Amino acid sequence: MTTTDSARGEVSRDDSELPEVSCTLTSHPKYLPLVRAIVQEGALLAGFDHEGTHEILLAVTEAVANVIRHAYNSQTDQRIDFELSVDAPVFRLDIIDYATFVDPSLIASRPLDEIRPGGLGVHLIKTTMDSVEYQKNRHGGTTLTLVKTAPSLST
Amino acid sequence: MKVTQEVRGSATLFVVEGQVDMHTSPELRTHLRDALGAEASPLVVDLSSVGFIDSSGLATLIEALQAVGKYGGKLRLCGLAPDVRKLFDLAQLSTIFDLRDSQDDAMAD
Repeated sequence: MTTTDSARGEVSRDDSELPEVSCTLTSHPKYLPLVRAIVQEGALLAGFDHEGTHEILLAVTEAVANVIRHAYNSQTDQRIDFELSVDAPVFRLDIIDYATFVDPSLIASRPLDEIRPGGLGVHLIKTTMDSVEYQKNRHGGTTLTLVKTAPSLST
Repeated sequence: MKVTQEVRGSATLFVVEGQVDMHTSPELRTHLRDALGAEASPLVVDLSSVGFIDSSGLATLIEALQAVGKYGGKLRLCGLAPDVRKLFDLAQLSTIFDLRDSQDDAMAD
């Protein structure tokens, strides 16, 4: 069970409850394909088709890249935890960093009509996922929770 | 990711294979930068073997588009798979880039 300390604005997970799938990686971009491989299987378990799976892969890649680039200032030796749970048709991924929590209101995309490199990550994450939540975790960093529900097949 | 480059007539063709993300997009940028430095035109980037591209890949292509525009050159992208095309649509870049269905189309004058 995940609890939120409203007063401190922190989210923490009951340590007695294991996430279904968890892994820890260092913040090196070379591990992005590995993250996608795990996420892809999770999305398929949740019942997503190719298109839905690809959307999740895009969102997760963007989110992890943001952690590396912004939370860790491109340091490649920092810790990122991933906690995946699948309760079909719901896919949920927590991306946990140990950097300094940033107020989500300060995380914004560039206007799409400004054609310039960069600034698209947050827009892509919010466009492709059903729910995007940034919360301060008990390590002082950020837990980003991404949730997407696979559409039901009509019978 | 793998990038192969060849010159055909006046065109410089880059065939990109694999996944383009934060880890691999710098390599693509390096390839493009060399051709941009020589003011080559048109530049054709064949993405038909790219199964995944993220915003860092888009950033690389936007940089190239802006650079080629400075010397009046042309940049064409071809062979976008539906997933890749969707990313361009989400980023509202489909009308900004010259997107072609095939390499032949992109290489034609």
